[in-house]
Amino acid sequence: MSDAVVSASHLGKAIQGNAILRDISVNATAGNVVGVIGKNGAGKTTLLELLLGFSPPTSGSSTLFGHPSLTLPASIKQRIGFVPQQDELVSYITGAQQLALTGSLYPHWNRALIDRLSRTWEVPLGQRTETLSAGERQKLSTLLALGHEPQLLVLDEPVSSLDPIARRQFLQQLLEIATDESRTVLFSTHIVSDLERVANQIWIVREGAIVWHGDLDSLKESVVRVSIRAHTTLPDSLGIMNALTCRADATRATVVVSDWHADAAGDLARRLDADIEVENLSLEDIFVELHA
Amino acid sequence: MDKHAPPRIFTLQPSSGVPIYRQLIEQVRRMVASGQLAPGAELPSVREISAEYSVNPTTISKAYGLLEAEGLLQRNRGKPMTIPAGRRNLGALSARLKQVEPQVDALVLAARQLELGADELTSLIVRKMGDHS
Repeated sequence: MSDAVVSASHLGKAIQGNAILRDISVNATAGNVVGVIGKNGAGKTTLLELLLGFSPPTSGSSTLFGHPSLTLPASIKQRIGFVPQQDELVSYITGAQQLALTGSLYPHWNRALIDRLSRTWEVPLGQRTETLSAGERQKLSTLLALGHEPQLLVLDEPVSSLDPIARRQFLQQLLEIATDESRTVLFSTHIVSDLERVANQIWIVREGAIVWHGDLDSLKESVVRVSIRAHTTLPDSLGIMNALTCRADATRATVVVSDWHADAAGDLARRLDADIEVENLSLEDIFVELHA
Repeated sequence: MDKHAPPRIFTLQPSSGVPIYRQLIEQVRRMVASGQLAPGAELPSVREISAEYSVNPTTISKAYGLLEAEGLLQRNRGKPMTIPAGRRNLGALSARLKQVEPQVDALVLAARQLELGADELTSLIVRKMGDHS
């Protein structure tokens, strides 16, 4: 897709013969906030690093703004902001000096934005970076990625060290970026509640593969729990397509289905001679079911 | 916090299984039906709702877009969305039919379980609608 800001095609990565990522094909277009969700060790960080061109894939390829990730020209790199999971602050200087240093690397630097955010987020800029708490370091690290107002902002577990108030302030900032339709945000997290607020698209990573990608709304609408109460004995195989999990006894069954359509209920009721009840699931439930 | 900020008019629960855009649509529909939102009433902007409730703006735009297509909201250039004046602003027939479809599905399901035929069901619907018009 030519208008994709981020694009991966059959991307794979193996380290010493162990597959870390397998056959990943995804896109992100401008104006979207994409949440990358998965258990610890699922491959989220490796995926972000491959997309950004930090290491070569074993198979497949990826592009940012249409340029191969591994050979991004400087003009494209200027349009990207990245907040790594492990920050890369210089230890013997103050936060203010760190901001000035990073700011000097970019032709455009929104000083007013950074001043405002460092006040709102209460980042002690006068202190040497090695004396900052984990949360303060994370905030400072995020400021470093926001100053040049990147078109693509990539964040790896951006809120892991933040308290609930700081997390909410941080999410507000992401949403402010998201109201600008020319910008794209890609962030990984395992905190489902944050993702539900700010992301409109979601990639679910499980054991190195993408098990679901698309609109968060469609995910919530397509993954449902179907309760079946049959008037007669249920057959051994219910014949339900795309069933993720199934619990059943002689006349009752609960099935979580991944690709549900509203008109399927009537068909199912007739075929199994049963009463059907369909229930929406929260993202957390869906995430758990996809890992069952 | 800003004491002069207007009170919240919606209750949005991001962690619900119901997508946020559908929660918003349902609430606007109900508030219009109950008269809480009268013709001419202004709705907060996408940006305001997004900031106030900390939710993604595209999900709010989607809800507003669908409500506009339904005829329940009116887009005004450079101004807030409003509830249109006049009661005849019902939206396209197909959109209205679509809205009633889930209830019809449930009705058809119940009719099948009770072994009622289409003719019996239709005559009942015709009679009921006659009673109320």
